[in-house]
Amino acid sequence: MILTSRAMVLAWICGALAAQPTFAQEKRAKVYLNMTYSGNTWQAAAANGIKALAATPPYDKQIEFSTVISGTEVQKQISDLQSMIAAGAKAIIMYPLSPTALNRVVKQGCDKGVLMFTYDSTVTEPCAYNVSNITARYGANTAQWIVNQLGGKGQIIFNHGVAGTSVTKTYDEQAYHIFKKYPGIKIVGDFFGNWNDATSQEEVSRILAAHPDVDGIWTVDGTYGSLQAVMKNRPERLVVIAGQSNNGYRLLLADPAMQAKGLRGISSSAGPAVGGYGFKVMMELLLKKTKLTAHNIEYPLPWVEGKDVKICEGESFVGGCNAFPESKAPALFIDTALDGTHLPELTLAAVQSGTPAPGATIQPLPPVKYAENLPGVNCQKCKQPADWLEPNMVTPIPVPK
Amino acid sequence: MLPVRLGFVGEEGEAEEGGRRSLPSSGATLAALLCLVMYGVYVLKEPSAFSAIGLANLLDNTVVLALAAIGLTLVILSAELDLSSVGVIAITNSIVATVSTRYPGGVLLSLALACLVGLAVGVVNGTLVTYLGLQSLACTLGTMIACQGIALLILSAPGGEVAEPIMNGLTGSVLGVVPVAGVILILGAVAWSLFRRTRLGIALYAVGTDEVAARLSGIEGGRTKAFAFAAAGVIYGLAGFMLSAETGTGDPRVSGSFLLYVFASVAIGGTSLAGGRGGVLGSLAGACILTVMQKMLFALGVAEFYTNIFNGLIMIAAILIGRLAPALARWSARRAAPGSSALAAGGADRG
Amino acid sequence: MASAQPGALVRSLALRRPELLPPVLVLAGAVALVLSMRVVNPRFGSPEQIAAILVTSIFLVVAAFGQGLAILLGGIDLSIGVVMSIGGMMITGLTRGSNDALLWAAPATLLCCAAIGVLNGVGIALLQIPPFITTLAVGTVSFGVALGLTAGSSQQSVAPALQELMSGKFHGLPYPILMTLCFLVLATVVQGQTAEGRKLYALGSSPAAARIVGLPIASLTIAAYAVSALCAGGSGLLLAGYSSSATLDMGDPFLMPTIAAVVIGGARVTGGRGSYLGTFAGAIFLSTLATVITALSLSQGWRNVIQGGIILAALILQSNRWRSWKR
Repeated sequence: MILTSRAMVLAWICGALAAQPTFAQEKRAKVYLNMTYSGNTWQAAAANGIKALAATPPYDKQIEFSTVISGTEVQKQISDLQSMIAAGAKAIIMYPLSPTALNRVVKQGCDKGVLMFTYDSTVTEPCAYNVSNITARYGANTAQWIVNQLGGKGQIIFNHGVAGTSVTKTYDEQAYHIFKKYPGIKIVGDFFGNWNDATSQEEVSRILAAHPDVDGIWTVDGTYGSLQAVMKNRPERLVVIAGQSNNGYRLLLADPAMQAKGLRGISSSAGPAVGGYGFKVMMELLLKKTKLTAHNIEYPLPWVEGKDVKICEGESFVGGCNAFPESKAPALFIDTALDGTHLPELTLAAVQSGTPAPGATIQPLPPVKYAENLPGVNCQKCKQPADWLEPNMVTPIPVPK
Repeated sequence: MLPVRLGFVGEEGEAEEGGRRSLPSSGATLAALLCLVMYGVYVLKEPSAFSAIGLANLLDNTVVLALAAIGLTLVILSAELDLSSVGVIAITNSIVATVSTRYPGGVLLSLALACLVGLAVGVVNGTLVTYLGLQSLACTLGTMIACQGIALLILSAPGGEVAEPIMNGLTGSVLGVVPVAGVILILGAVAWSLFRRTRLGIALYAVGTDEVAARLSGIEGGRTKAFAFAAAGVIYGLAGFMLSAETGTGDPRVSGSFLLYVFASVAIGGTSLAGGRGGVLGSLAGACILTVMQKMLFALGVAEFYTNIFNGLIMIAAILIGRLAPALARWSARRAAPGSSALAAGGADRG
Repeated sequence: MASAQPGALVRSLALRRPELLPPVLVLAGAVALVLSMRVVNPRFGSPEQIAAILVTSIFLVVAAFGQGLAILLGGIDLSIGVVMSIGGMMITGLTRGSNDALLWAAPATLLCCAAIGVLNGVGIALLQIPPFITTLAVGTVSFGVALGLTAGSSQQSVAPALQELMSGKFHGLPYPILMTLCFLVLATVVQGQTAEGRKLYALGSSPAAARIVGLPIASLTIAAYAVSALCAGGSGLLLAGYSSSATLDMGDPFLMPTIAAVVIGGARVTGGRGSYLGTFAGAIFLSTLATVITALSLSQGWRNVIQGGIILAALILQSNRWRSWKR
């Protein structure tokens, strides 16, 4: 019957595909990188950093490293994590799509002895290790910084991140709390830039047209686009702005010509290097080189003002340099993909291509800093510190009369 | 008196020749076969998958997509489109995560709310399409966006808590043997097999094939389509309820790629996006294909670079294989009885 | 009576030039939105803001033309978002921050994007795979290839000339607005007045009749999807010029709006009906709606509810049944 014979042909083809020769593998630990979002600068840089580190000696001989991209659907990530656990993973570093939906599969992994690490985005399952700066109070610190720069008075445009994420909820709550304390500060327009520079540029240019006297812009990402909108529509008077650490943005902050037009900015936000850092912590734990007493690790919040920008001469962040010349890196390149303190092995080429710099070897990490609690973000039955809405890196100015 | 033999075929396509049934050669069957083949490859590379836990996990990963595909199939059979599934799922997921632990009897309450919300959205869609004459693609796009908003109003960030009985009950197994997800899928298949022989089921196919001819036979297109949208809405609500059980939490965000997977499940399963042909069994197979495909690609060690490429190619291959169904039917009919080939070919062509 | 006059105008327009009714209604809707916002904030709807709205609409205006052609044939193009991103990434990668390569890089990029459209057309016309699945699959595969080749973001800026094009002004009028107007005229003529355009209408209304009459269905279909991808690629080029560089996900926010713009503009999803004027009006309406919603300063939840509601309202107001009730 034609039907069964066609099915047999199909099965034969698939069988041939399946029967690949298996090489004898040394006993290397299986380590996986599980990505979800892909196709944007941040995610690409973070993944490349991790891949470069995994290929750097001595890690390259100690682990069998693979990357799995799950896409943006949470059940697919659950399915892939189950596959990785079943395949004998010893450690998995992932970008979780939800702080809570993956808890069950993460627990399954922990129960099998797999090290479950997350970077930047967190999960609330207690056995997982979260490496992030979501607890570093970005919202409060940057909002207070803007208020200080404006002397407590001015018009602000508020650029939200993606709605419905815990990071947006946390940062927005902190920033609004700070802005509300100063009656002279008015938020004249807010939009959801979705961490996207093109969207941010479009929206800011529309709001600017209706509110030509805007003094400041608060962003988490999409900063460069937001600033571009002002530079193209009101080039004679720039703004006070807080946001990401794109190379073009840092170069503008340091440019005296821009500063003369009123540009003052803070370059901060989540950096892709958190991925590489989380990977190194995971590897040190896997290779028993360190012990961790808590599960939530805080990656330091980048904090660079115009006066702090220092152009690098080489390919990596050495000697405290934190930006590249215009010819070396594109404007949207996120400088915080590199980290001179924690990730000296990474170079510009490494985070752009995923291949390690020749001659690099893994350097030991400084002691980790543990993170405070944020219920619903990195822990379940816990309480956040009483002052979690207050800045801890910027001293507030008094409210002007 | 409902004239059943008006030639509204399009059921799961059993070809009948002179009373003797030849093997089902429909899109649904081929899809199911392809799914089994892919599962076979997966198990070959990863033997631990062929275990109670492995199968249970697989069924748990499929059930939400399958339920959404069942609902969508009803609408597509009636020759309409429906983008609102992800919106309903987001709302019901958010409701279950906020209601099920907060009130006594929260489990049943959240189930009732899930069905009610789905019904409400379905009724709105149905009314807009049948009584105001709006195009279904556009109007369900609008309702989906509005539902996205309502979900965000209920739950502003992922979180909430799903009651234990839902979370563990629906992901456990019946009698310790059959996973609940599997039971749900079997129930769905059985319910469909019964439904498609009822007046309403046949009316659905009739309206999807040719609305004018259906009206001439006394079948009211508007009411049938309104029923399809409403039923789909309730099923989406159940899908959202299952998602809460699977993930144990609420999430107000709507996943665009999930919506595309739901449509892909339906199309791969042999249901024509133009209406009147196919059925729920095919969509179940399609959902299985998409879930197993992911496992199979992982087990084969397909490098990340190729995952997207294979996803796309397998979708196309599945459709092409499903397209073989009418051609196969014609071929086998011609081989069986060269004389009556024209008649058999014409009838089987529709299936 | 004052209120009867608009009704009479609408009725006479409906009788004499029915295909102009949807665009007129939709544009009127956009104007109504702006006017209602002016009540709340008198500075809303200033010439600067209208200019900002028009400048940022160009991406949707260009990409929606392609979607309109696909829908005209009774199909759909789900690869538009990916092709836009690929167009942006390609032009950025080829020009690498200087104008030298622009002259050949731009046509090469557009050709490459059109090739993706040809793949779509071949799958739909020759392999008879439903447009939904074909364009979805081709888009997914293209994304996968592009992701593997580029890791997701451009390493350079795009050519300065392209950036100048998107931010410069010609006698005070921003170039993008001029380009939008030219594109409007060109696209309306191509879709509605040329022989090829009319053949597309015929094919969309009745594939069976088209076959009998002997229209070259396969080549028309392939051409339509190629043009759709070409427009998406062009839109991607413009977007890269606007934001100075590109990422592989920058086209994603535009896919659903292209579909919405086409159907709000009066096109039939089953094919055969709709004009580019309607699509254009739909694109402008959506841009205006987005600006209005932003100005309302609500939580994202309310923004979505209002956006969905207004889209439904726009559809209801132009549906035939509503208009027949109003009489």
